[in-house]
Amino acid sequence: MERHDVLVVGAGLAGQRAALAAIQAGRDVAILSKLHPLRSHSGAAQGGINAALGAEDSVDTHIYDTVKGSDYLGDQDAIEFFCKEAGPTVVEMEHFGTIFSRGDDGSLARRAFGGAGFPRTIYAADRTGLALLQALYERIGTESFTLYEEWDLTSIVVREGRCQGVIAFNRLSGSFEPIAAKSVVIATGPAGRVYGRTTNAHTCTGDGIAAAYRAGAALKDMEFVQFHPTALLESSILITEGARGEGGILKNGKGERFMSRYAPHVLDLASRDVVSRAIWTEVEEGRGFPGGYVHLELMHLGQEKIETRLEEICDFSRKFAGVDPVTEPIPVMPAQHYIMGGIGTNLRGETNIKGLFAAGEAACVSIHGANRLGGNSLLETLVFGKQAGIAAAEYAKVAPASTLRESEAEPDAARVKAMSNRAEGEEPQRLRMEMQNVMDTQVGIYRAFSALANALRAIRALQARFEKVRIVDPSSTFNLNLTDALETGHMLDLAETIIVGAIARTESRGAHARTDYPKRDDAHWMRHTLATYSHEGPKLSYAPVAYTRWEPKERVY
Amino acid sequence: MAAATIDAPFEVYRFDPAKDPSPRYQRYSLSLPPHTPVLTALLKIRAELDPSLTLRYSCRSAICGSCAMLVNSKSRLACQTQIGPEIARHGRIVVDPMRNLPVLRDLVTEMRPFWSNYRRIEPHLIVDPERPMPVDKPTTMTPEQVARFEETPRCIACAACYSACPAVEADPAFPGPMALAKLYRFVVDPRDAATKQRLVKIQPGGLWLCLRCHLCTEACPKGVRPSERIMDLKELALQAQGATEAGSRHALAFKDNIRERGILNELRLVRQTSGYGGILAQLPQGIRLVRKKPEIRKTPKEIQGREEVEKLYEILDPEEHS
Repeated sequence: MERHDVLVVGAGLAGQRAALAAIQAGRDVAILSKLHPLRSHSGAAQGGINAALGAEDSVDTHIYDTVKGSDYLGDQDAIEFFCKEAGPTVVEMEHFGTIFSRGDDGSLARRAFGGAGFPRTIYAADRTGLALLQALYERIGTESFTLYEEWDLTSIVVREGRCQGVIAFNRLSGSFEPIAAKSVVIATGPAGRVYGRTTNAHTCTGDGIAAAYRAGAALKDMEFVQFHPTALLESSILITEGARGEGGILKNGKGERFMSRYAPHVLDLASRDVVSRAIWTEVEEGRGFPGGYVHLELMHLGQEKIETRLEEICDFSRKFAGVDPVTEPIPVMPAQHYIMGGIGTNLRGETNIKGLFAAGEAACVSIHGANRLGGNSLLETLVFGKQAGIAAAEYAKVAPASTLRESEAEPDAARVKAMSNRAEGEEPQRLRMEMQNVMDTQVGIYRAFSALANALRAIRALQARFEKVRIVDPSSTFNLNLTDALETGHMLDLAETIIVGAIARTESRGAHARTDYPKRDDAHWMRHTLATYSHEGPKLSYAPVAYTRWEPKERVY
Repeated sequence: MAAATIDAPFEVYRFDPAKDPSPRYQRYSLSLPPHTPVLTALLKIRAELDPSLTLRYSCRSAICGSCAMLVNSKSRLACQTQIGPEIARHGRIVVDPMRNLPVLRDLVTEMRPFWSNYRRIEPHLIVDPERPMPVDKPTTMTPEQVARFEETPRCIACAACYSACPAVEADPAFPGPMALAKLYRFVVDPRDAATKQRLVKIQPGGLWLCLRCHLCTEACPKGVRPSERIMDLKELALQAQGATEAGSRHALAFKDNIRERGILNELRLVRQTSGYGGILAQLPQGIRLVRKKPEIRKTPKEIQGREEVEKLYEILDPEEHS
């Protein structure tokens, strides 16, 4: 059985940064990922990374914008720490070799982003995630660590009051293996594929969040799901907020700049929840284009700006939507983009389970609260990835050896074998698509009790059907059908926590908009939702929000 | 927005080395709108017809680099290749795993050779301790320095170029287009202190094995244009070290040789590239060549209008030829 001091699950920016910190602390480190590190979804982040580096800008303004953007659900102590780390983090990544876009004077270029008081988003054209991922992978490549590449996480083992390691499925060999570790860092990224209309990659199935939940970790604020305002129609491929940051504008079917009605001061650069609701409302009230969408216009920016600063999305629009942004508007609609919730952690990435840490989109510190600002998620992966790596290394230094046993992989192997041996049963992808349809239609931008209650019944029915799911592919090499089943099981758990949290939260805050409770209710709901696993479904409890300097105010853009 | 559909006959390479004696092609008949990406079609096959079809995929937006494969014999990203033009041209869509990499199962290839070539070029900044990074602030770069990063940061390491490269197929020592384009990215980085060492190190059994066929540039889905980066590297390598390799001497010899008479003198080319020793080493091959093509022995006559050739040289390299 393999053994490590620190095992990081997930090889995106958060995972690699955690691993680097733990390696630098002198621990034996391994990374386990279902994708090669350079294939991670971090690389799909387009717009940029926030740091108040401009002379007119300040860390305090970044803190304020983030607190306000979070609709006062973000923990202010965490946000202060986060924003103070922004500058050093960006500088470090530049020194690691990140190729950022630059101004004429050779300094790092900055662009405007939604909900931000100043242009503070540092970028690399519109592939900032890829630029950071390349640089971090290049940097960590000079260190020595073990990489379990193309392995699926199936379980986290918690015994004797602490994490003992994980069980994982090796796609190439087809075996379930226990991996012992004193510290485990979950950095498996998003769970966006619980939705069908999502900007997330197909592989964003929340495996680490679900495994942590089953192992007893509390999931925080899962009901807060961000819908990005601008995704291509059919494919839901992301069109970066940077497009509006560079001056792009939204227009409805009547040719109106409708954002003037929803955010009179900052128009198209309001916070994402605000812009997504505005687009949704325009279309619902019949002011969209036939078929239900709005236009994102870039033509007035001119060919050069579009093709250099927005190179990727220009290419995407041409190749995936058959639209040339230089000469015509891009048809867009909101799509699921980010889950503010995740495995609850503190500033050091520690969860409620000893030896279990989390960082990045899989975690919830919480700095994004009820709504994340663009440019803050790349920063979060690096800032809190590092913290989790440091904390995991410190714990591993003093923790006793893991008592994980070889036999502990057997239950997962047996569970999957039962799925493979079934003569009849449902295809996991069918259940996945039904789940996605439920989430798209009933747990979307606007929510109400009746639809949420229907959704919960539907998801529980799918969970029951999942008990009889069948893996038809008998192969032991790269059995993706088996991976489909593992992922679908994980996502059904997470869909349930999103819905249960959303039903309970009888208010509207940030991305959680209840038509039956349209007002924010600070008296009752200025608190974090915590969901823990039980056989009967998620058990909810609540935790206070940390306040330092910023009194809750009405949020106007 | 329901678009009209077209018949999309797929023939997909299937092979599970653990149980199949040999590869086969499996046919699937789909009906899809012409703008459907090949990846979407393959995922539809997985979801509705055959969950055992095995391939790598993730982002479906040409940024993760997972889904490179052969579509009608060309190395492509499945996610950004639409079925319509393929069917219009070939009448069907034949999907194979990438070339130059062993098949693990169906469309999934063993990527280790690709990654080990990538690691071979030391893909990380090498900073001179005498010239450390500025403290607590980013470096600055001139617009000229920034401009040299035009194409290479686009690389998503999909290996389409590696799959398309005949030099990789012919000589496993050749690092492949991606690794060399990545090397160029570090060579032109003003933060990197190992420019000269990198250019010296890559020459023996590396850089000069490129055949200049440009198939990598044709295959690259992101516009990195690896063959052009390789030519840039060759130029920088000559500047850094002079013509010390057979490959670099060959390039220079070619240039002088053509300039002299406007036509290639192949015997002189061999001597200039490899010296008299090289002629001896290649003698058996040379004899066979002369038997087949006796006219090769004669020194070719200067072509008509050689002055035009001279003018071209002057345009291409005004300093050297002024």
